[in-house]
Amino acid sequence: MNVESSVFAILSAVAVCGAVVTVFARDITRMVVGLGVFLLAVAGFFVYWGAAFLGAVQLFVYVGGVLVLMVFAIMLVHRSNDGRPRLESRHDIAALTVAGGLFFLVVTALIGAVPDSLDQTLVSGTDEVAEVFLGPMLTHFEMAGVLLLAVLVGLVIIVRGDER
Amino acid sequence: MSVVILAVGLFSVGLYGVLTRRDLIAILASVEVMLGSATMLLVGLAAASGPIGEHQGAVEATGVLVVAIAAAEAAIGLALVMSVARRFQSTRADELTEVKG
Repeated sequence: MNVESSVFAILSAVAVCGAVVTVFARDITRMVVGLGVFLLAVAGFFVYWGAAFLGAVQLFVYVGGVLVLMVFAIMLVHRSNDGRPRLESRHDIAALTVAGGLFFLVVTALIGAVPDSLDQTLVSGTDEVAEVFLGPMLTHFEMAGVLLLAVLVGLVIIVRGDER
Repeated sequence: MSVVILAVGLFSVGLYGVLTRRDLIAILASVEVMLGSATMLLVGLAAASGPIGEHQGAVEATGVLVVAIAAAEAAIGLALVMSVARRFQSTRADELTEVKG
């Protein structure tokens, strides 16, 4: 087992643990910590594949933004409950069948189309990303800006609610 | 090959969470797991396939766009959760039965 495959194995184990804790934890604080571990592992995967810029964006936007926003929402919403709020799940065979069946279907559909060699990495850095964003994907880039503006305005309207 | 199994497995775990969780914030967290694994599959497959065409930064740029859209989704979702919590004093998905027939 060389260094690269052991890094892949460690990152996979961390990602799976984080996702399982996110989905099955009964304590809401542990759920958020599990989500943070999962998102950190995904950022680690991006760096491992050579997309260091995307890894940094993932780290800043998700771990620094979305996770903090989630903690903020939990503190606002669950403040009336005394102690640490418990999370309930309704585990049933139907949900397991849907998730397992989707896993089976997608894996069997994709497994033949994927090359076996996974030791290659992306050859892109900030230069290449900038070239794409300001070249062929300029429209997408601008649309993302418009989307974020719309989200900002929408947030104000949603959170302000009925008091007008 | 292993990246497909890993990413689709994580996606299925997230889907199971969306289907079984009862709290709106927990459902949103499971959706984040699904989105993260989908981006992982995109970047992982691109890395496995080697450089395609002349624009080698396109995959990373697409990933950045996905992350931006996911952040917007999370922000709107959490604002809706807070709005629901203020109106119904609860964030349990099965207590929101106002439009139930």
